Amino acid sequence: MNYPYWQLGFPGGVLIALVAVLHVFVSHFAVGGGFFLVATEARARRTNDAALLDYCKRHTKFFALLTLVFGAVSGVGIWFTIGLVSPEATSTLIHAFVWLWAIEWVFFFVEIAAAIIYAKTWETLSATEHQIIGWIYFVAAWMSLFVINGILTFMLTPGGWLEGHSLVAGFFNPTYWPSLLTRTAAAVVLAGLFAFVTLPKDGAREQVARLGAKWMVAGAVVMPVGLWWWSARLPLFSHLSLGMGVTSVTHALRGGVGFSLLALLLALVCGAWKPSWMRPPVVAVLVLCGIGMVGAGEYLREYLRKPWAVNTLVYANDMRAAEVETIKTNGVLKSAKFLPHADAASAEYGRDLFVLQCGACHAAEGYRGMSRRVDGWDAAFAADILQHIHVLRGTMPPFAGDEQDRKALGKYLAGLNPEWHLTITEANKLEMGKKVFDSRCGHCHTVNGSFRPLRGTFEKATGAQVAEVFPALGAMSSNMPDFNAPADQAEALGFYIAHEANLPLAVKPAPMQMPTGTNHSRMRRPAMPGAQASLAQEVR
Amino acid sequence: MQTMIPHVDPLPLPGPVWLFTVLLLVVFTLHVAAMNSALGGGLWTLWNYLRGRHAEHEYSRRLAVELAGMLPTFLAFTVTLGVAALLFVQVLYGNFLYTSSIIMASTWLMVIPLVMVAYYGYYYFSYKAVEGKGIAGCVLAISVCVLLAIGFIFVNNMTLMLRPERWLEIYRAHPNGWNLNLGEATLLPRYLHIVNGSVALFSAILAQIGMSRMKQDAGYGRWLVQRAALVFAACTGLQFLLGMWLLLATPREIAMTLLRDPLTGGVFGLALVTVIAAMLLILLGSLAEKPSKLVSAGFGVSLLTLLLMVCLRYLLRMAYLKPYADLGGLQVQAQWGVIVLFVVLFVGGLGTVAYMLALVMKCCKTAVAK
Repeated sequence: MNYPYWQLGFPGGVLIALVAVLHVFVSHFAVGGGFFLVATEARARRTNDAALLDYCKRHTKFFALLTLVFGAVSGVGIWFTIGLVSPEATSTLIHAFVWLWAIEWVFFFVEIAAAIIYAKTWETLSATEHQIIGWIYFVAAWMSLFVINGILTFMLTPGGWLEGHSLVAGFFNPTYWPSLLTRTAAAVVLAGLFAFVTLPKDGAREQVARLGAKWMVAGAVVMPVGLWWWSARLPLFSHLSLGMGVTSVTHALRGGVGFSLLALLLALVCGAWKPSWMRPPVVAVLVLCGIGMVGAGEYLREYLRKPWAVNTLVYANDMRAAEVETIKTNGVLKSAKFLPHADAASAEYGRDLFVLQCGACHAAEGYRGMSRRVDGWDAAFAADILQHIHVLRGTMPPFAGDEQDRKALGKYLAGLNPEWHLTITEANKLEMGKKVFDSRCGHCHTVNGSFRPLRGTFEKATGAQVAEVFPALGAMSSNMPDFNAPADQAEALGFYIAHEANLPLAVKPAPMQMPTGTNHSRMRRPAMPGAQASLAQEVR
Repeated sequence: MQTMIPHVDPLPLPGPVWLFTVLLLVVFTLHVAAMNSALGGGLWTLWNYLRGRHAEHEYSRRLAVELAGMLPTFLAFTVTLGVAALLFVQVLYGNFLYTSSIIMASTWLMVIPLVMVAYYGYYYFSYKAVEGKGIAGCVLAISVCVLLAIGFIFVNNMTLMLRPERWLEIYRAHPNGWNLNLGEATLLPRYLHIVNGSVALFSAILAQIGMSRMKQDAGYGRWLVQRAALVFAACTGLQFLLGMWLLLATPREIAMTLLRDPLTGGVFGLALVTVIAAMLLILLGSLAEKPSKLVSAGFGVSLLTLLLMVCLRYLLRMAYLKPYADLGGLQVQAQWGVIVLFVVLFVGGLGTVAYMLALVMKCCKTAVAK
């Protein structure tokens, strides 16, 4: 509301993710690779191994070109990107932690200077002096990680900072140490992985290949411990997001594990066992696995923070939590400073609201596109849903706007697809009922699944009995939208729910509690499914 | 118009305004010095590389090869020091900078890939310059052009952040962020002033480098000092003309600050004096058969001029934003503990870099002695 919104045509979060994944991949290598270089140099000098020392020199050139240019500049790219997509969140972090950022910059400055000197002085400095520069590089690089880790983890778990703005409490927050351990281990894994990229054709080939594999294994042994520790410190809403079974989260989890295991397998087989097999295509697969591993980790880290960009302060759509109620009262028109179309009656106004409030994570079409999500919605239903969006989907921020805004956005959302004209017959009733269910109910409920199952409420009911409940839905719960679909759709929907709810179950569903957007950042362990909220319980 | 300005962050400023201002001015001056070396050095290298391809211009070839190894380092420190400047300017003027950056977001973000292109180009050239053939010259030319483009984008953003009255119109024209601030009257003179200034300052640096080369090769050193002094003088003369153009293009009420505000006027006057002094010192010092220490003094004064120009730029920014920003009214809750820690680590960091440079210098001296 405070700033203009960059309409880049796809979710801004995707852009941040793209820049972040590549930067994190290289910047962690910059930390671990520095350690690898100086440790390997020490080993080569200790054993008087000219071939290994020669490898170190070649690897240094690659290391400097990748980390000094791509690593450093993409780091600035992150700054640029978050400032463009989430200025409020960036400003919050800058104001809370500018001195820590300044300290991180000091280490960054030393790191860059040391890297340049290290790369340029292989032939001129004495062995001891050159290694001193290498160690200075590694310490500065790791300290840079040490500092930035505090700010990154603060975004998810601000911990005691929320009470008195204590810098120490915010920095050493609940996920600080597990995250530092995980990132350090990841840096070691990437150091090993990148050792294969510059693998010599002869000379120290076998030795380097085995070294690379050893480093990868060493990091890979520690990383699960860090991740387990980290997950144990996650706030409740993050645990619930994990447990919702969202497809993309499941894919990220499986992908992360899969990429890691494949990388490890390749390192062991083509690195430790048969170094001659470590050919460029295998190295390329390894690098892709590394990117995939980092990408999965970053995706989960971002997803598990939803609906927040900075927990309890700024939402993922860059809305300050403290401003939402005021905007609800005053409306977006009076609150937003940079609306492209300031006429609430115009057709474009709804689109502006969509871009402003949803654009960080959604676009109309494509990745996280809304058109398929709102298929079958009419304007009134969409406007009603918006009222409860943060409750219905725990990963969504609340809608900030007055009734006029909701209706305008609802109209825009409903207009993303052509209006439904279903022909429902006895023969296709079940199929049509499912279609209506997916459109009207499926975003927040399952019938027999684990996500707010309806079975408990409608088991043993007939389709007609189920349909009888629909007109009262809005009145039964403040979080349910009014049901306003045509009668034939209602009938088909009732038929479908009754049919599904009366199917025999192989496994009893484990319904779960939904997050409500409240802060749970300091609750270590959520009370996972047990005393749960089925629809019936919620209605009561 | 006041309502157009995004409100300041609700969190208090974590340090006094004067401290952020001092830090901003210091790191920005260093950033500009590095940037001038990267851009001005690139232009110098390109000219001498092309000239040095002819056998009779041995010194040019030698200079191009010598500078080739320095260019990536200049760019590395341009980026590193720019990060610090970006950090501190966000604290003081974040609500202005974020807004102008978002309005021209797509163009602004292009800076990142462009810097990478220029950076890799400089590295490529540093590896190939000594061969004096192939596409190295083309690559260097591309890098320099890219740096010129980056400078243009920066000037667009830095001028746009000072013009809130234009924000909404430009944003509504292209909310996709493909905007520039081409309607700004000061844009072109300001840009040319910066580009020309970067050649001027790097010429002063080269004159100083030439002084140090005198000990090893008097002929080469003298050639370098004299050539750098001439370019410095020519660019400084041109800088006066560009400066006058910039002044005339500046809105009257802002330009009048130079007369009305004693501090701004004082800094401006002092900068004029120092730039003339630097030009005279370097010219006089270089004209002698054996370039004298006047050149080094002129180099020192030109660095002082740079600092004064950075201060003047800051004071004019304050004049531009006076109707919209009240830094004195910001709530401050200084985090003194971590400020002290920063200062200690900053000094320690500088000491560490100095130690590493001392190691390098020691080994260079040993190599020369041998």
